[in-house]
Amino acid sequence: MNEKPSLWWIDWRISRGPIVRESIGRFLFLCLLGFALLSLLLSGGVSRILAGRYAVTAVLRAEVPSGEGEGLARKAAALPPVRSATYQDPEAAWKEFLRAYPGLDPLRGTGENPLPGYIEIRIRPDRLTVKDVELVATALRAVPQVERVLAGEDWLPRLLLAGRLASWACWGVFGAFLAGFFLVGRLQERARAVALAGDFAFLAERGVSAGRLAFHRAAGAALSGFLLAAVGTAAGGGVLFFSLRKYPILERVIGSPTDLLLPQTIASAVLFSVGAALLSGAASLLGWRAARPGRK
Amino acid sequence: MIEGFRLGVYSRGATLWDGLDFAFGDAAVWFVTGPPASGKTLLLSILRGERRPDAGDVLVSGESLYRGNAALARAWRASCGHVPEQAIAGAPPTVGDLFRRSALVGGAVRETERKERTDGLLEMVGLRGASTWRISEMSISERVRACLAAELLRGPKILFCDGVVAGAGVPSWEMLWGLFRALAREGNTVILAERRIPERWALAAGDPEPVGPFRVYRLPGPAAEGKGGPG
Repeated sequence: MNEKPSLWWIDWRISRGPIVRESIGRFLFLCLLGFALLSLLLSGGVSRILAGRYAVTAVLRAEVPSGEGEGLARKAAALPPVRSATYQDPEAAWKEFLRAYPGLDPLRGTGENPLPGYIEIRIRPDRLTVKDVELVATALRAVPQVERVLAGEDWLPRLLLAGRLASWACWGVFGAFLAGFFLVGRLQERARAVALAGDFAFLAERGVSAGRLAFHRAAGAALSGFLLAAVGTAAGGGVLFFSLRKYPILERVIGSPTDLLLPQTIASAVLFSVGAALLSGAASLLGWRAARPGRK
Repeated sequence: MIEGFRLGVYSRGATLWDGLDFAFGDAAVWFVTGPPASGKTLLLSILRGERRPDAGDVLVSGESLYRGNAALARAWRASCGHVPEQAIAGAPPTVGDLFRRSALVGGAVRETERKERTDGLLEMVGLRGASTWRISEMSISERVRACLAAELLRGPKILFCDGVVAGAGVPSWEMLWGLFRALAREGNTVILAERRIPERWALAAGDPEPVGPFRVYRLPGPAAEGKGGPG
């Protein structure tokens, strides 16, 4: 029994109760963080809400036939920042007008529809910027059949700035929770290191180097942190998936449940797990300093 | 062979001892006695490679513990067993935990094997079924014997015992005598530090070698001893 001792999962081998309790707590916290992360990734903060409510309207000239209007809508939909482009003919525009302002039927007393057809263009949430909106508006203004483009250029920058600030606030709250995870983890590691100080001193007395102990503890913490974060994010993603399926209204704010399986979403979840692993390892190292066995 | 050359220790602003030479041969039981506060625990720490002496050096099989390779010193410490003077501080909650902790140093061992050996060792030191006992509720004698058994779990080549004979108490002396001789017979080295040596052990050991404030006895091996133990 005099071979070099393995120090992997040393805390688990010495004292299992606290590890189990801490792991359950961390897992639940990481589930919550994973859910929040995926929600933020899919929604882009408040970008999806803004993109759902904002539209560029291209008012067509009165003489443009329906077929030509639909063709223009298809061309507009092909522009990179555009999520959808829908042509409304003059008759549909009139009905929509009456729904918005009931009782104004007499305006059409002469029989002529006073409203032209138009194309409603929705921008992709990730491309909702002044630059992209200008790109779309400029492209539409160059078309002779378009009489006017309503893109709200006057107030759009302020709206986007407010949206950006709101998104940063959301990510800030997420970051604060992540920092809380690190600080709580550090306190737990410190408390455990102090509780196991006698065992570490025992090992140090018998030739186990403090650096080797610290490395193996940190590596174990990082590995378990990665696994807990990966499983927690998957569980959080599962809850989000079923929530979006059950309450489709949430899709307007967060996005489609199928977006959870996009490569960039999965890559972000893996990055988050790596980050959680690094934080767990750092918390272990910092906690270790509290119980580092010294020399007599 | 563990050799101490010109060892010196300065403590509390004064020289505790200086220029001491020791030589502890392999496969033997060595008994170091000294008055209170003479530095017996310190001497064991120095011999174990845990505390660098303020003067002199310790050689193990010809290699310096303090001026040589650090990995060698760590390997030496890993091969040693150490039963410290008893204190509850830093001790694990139960006797079973004590063995689990000891097994960590020894490398991979199956749980069932460890439990079997734990039960056997506890029985050998007169603590049958003590693995669930709380250390804080045990007497000094029981604690000493439990710690000794836990160290033996790893089968250390060199065993340092600080105050074990006094702590274990007179009723355990015969058991300890037999145990230490058996360890030496198997090629192990045992170094004991005590304030005084039991009278019959001293008679069996013969004249001690005086080294500074210490007296160093070499206990006789089984072949050298007549019938009946001196415990």
